[in-house]
Amino acid sequence: MRYYWELWGRRFDSPIILASGTAGFGLELMEQNNLHGAAAVVSKATTLKPTPGNPPPRIVETKFGLLNSIGLANPGVDEIVKTILPEADSLPIPLIVNVAGETVEEFPAVIEKLERSPVPFGYEVNVSCPNVAAGGMVFGASPSTVEEIARLVNSVTSRPFSVKLTPNEGSITEAAQAAETGGADSVTVCNTFLGMKMNWRTGRAPLKRKVGGYSSPALLPLTVARVYKTCEAVDIPVLASGGVSCPEDVLELLAAGAVMVQVGTWLMRRPDAAGELREGVVRLLESDSQ
Amino acid sequence: MIAEKEEILPGIFRFEFEVSEGFLRKAEPGRFVQVEVSSGPFPVTRRPFTISSRSTDSIEIIFEVVGRGTKTLAETDEGQSLRMLGPLGHGYKLNSGEWLLIGGGLGAAGFPGLAASIDCGLMILGAATKNRLLTIDGIKTRAITEDGSSGMKGLVTDLLKTVLWDSFSNIALCGPIAMMKAVIEMMPVESRTVTQVSAEARMGCGWGACEGCSIPGADGGYLKCCTDGPVLPALAVNWDLWEGIHR
Repeated sequence: MRYYWELWGRRFDSPIILASGTAGFGLELMEQNNLHGAAAVVSKATTLKPTPGNPPPRIVETKFGLLNSIGLANPGVDEIVKTILPEADSLPIPLIVNVAGETVEEFPAVIEKLERSPVPFGYEVNVSCPNVAAGGMVFGASPSTVEEIARLVNSVTSRPFSVKLTPNEGSITEAAQAAETGGADSVTVCNTFLGMKMNWRTGRAPLKRKVGGYSSPALLPLTVARVYKTCEAVDIPVLASGGVSCPEDVLELLAAGAVMVQVGTWLMRRPDAAGELREGVVRLLESDSQ
Repeated sequence: MIAEKEEILPGIFRFEFEVSEGFLRKAEPGRFVQVEVSSGPFPVTRRPFTISSRSTDSIEIIFEVVGRGTKTLAETDEGQSLRMLGPLGHGYKLNSGEWLLIGGGLGAAGFPGLAASIDCGLMILGAATKNRLLTIDGIKTRAITEDGSSGMKGLVTDLLKTVLWDSFSNIALCGPIAMMKAVIEMMPVESRTVTQVSAEARMGCGWGACEGCSIPGADGGYLKCCTDGPVLPALAVNWDLWEGIHR
């Protein structure tokens, strides 16, 4: 029996998408021959201007997960369109370009530039970053801002896009509804959780920026709950992201209502995770159907 | 597979891993491996280790138990198989001419393989104490310890005061950031241009995607320890910023 999963009108033989920030633009994984088993890859964040990223240390492991504060390091949309996307044209799977901004207007501005490239299959709009004009509150905390961003993005592209929601501020279900109203084709649920580690001996935080995004296999139930509640709140597809480390986790998120499942932190540990997960998912489905 | 395991100094281990021929061919001095130290989910990320040396069918790593990852690895028995990625990153440029190797503490872990591939004139090793000082056979070595328990008493920079810098056409340097910075500052400018440093950083993926292992670059921006390095020209690094990262 063959299994299919669908996203944005296209059928895939895998439910696995490589999450933003852990796969670059897919080029390293292509070189390692590790893209098999993945339906699509989401690029790292693309911003209007070149972004060097946060000062190091940028990552630290905690007892049950990883904290990162990379700071959206990327060479900026112009350079990405000029040099990286032409290379990414040879990827064997579709590329979804993740977009971030400091102001509401930057999201459509970045996407207008990306529209010049034939390479992106679609976009993922990261509303977990701080809105400079709103005193650093994250975009995703305000449903009206999420709706405005979705509208603006929708007005500059006919490509499908997903709004990647934040678990840290505001209501995920309200933000998901706002994204739907604004014309988003799907939502990604969700992103890393704000976290911090302290060295109690020195009184210092090991991350230079002190706080970071927490990711871990232990987050799975938090994602399952948010995916389930979001699916109840909207009619657009939900992409799950957070906590996947084995095929059972993928099936659990699909059972909660997700159409596809992203793998991120686990991919850093296992660059061949997509193949392992897809194979495991198919094996479990086959053994279950017998 | 862990073919051999030995605690060479208290809390410092030498592991020999049986690897494939293809792996071995690429295990050049200065490159590293990412080891999945636990079969359970935690620690989540792998741990990076410089390749100390290679033989006809194995590679060696030398590491000190400093945290949960290294502790877990140290507790793994001979005969166990672990997932290992690599060899990763860029190693040393094996230029001709005489080499000076300068190592601080476990920074010398990568020197056995390097010394076997080059014309090594002198190796200078420093450590806090005798129990932290690696010994590498067959190479002319001068050692110094901070407490005087082996060799002279003092810092690597004290030993280097008598070195004839211009008699070496290549320098390899590896150790704590502050030590490497101090060594570079005392070198004549010409020696800095022939110095390669083996950098270390907390690492996420190890293959260039996550940008977790950034090192401040001399031209602004950041270098990726994993794919731009770990071996970098000393002049490619912004030493002031790099030294400040843990403050």
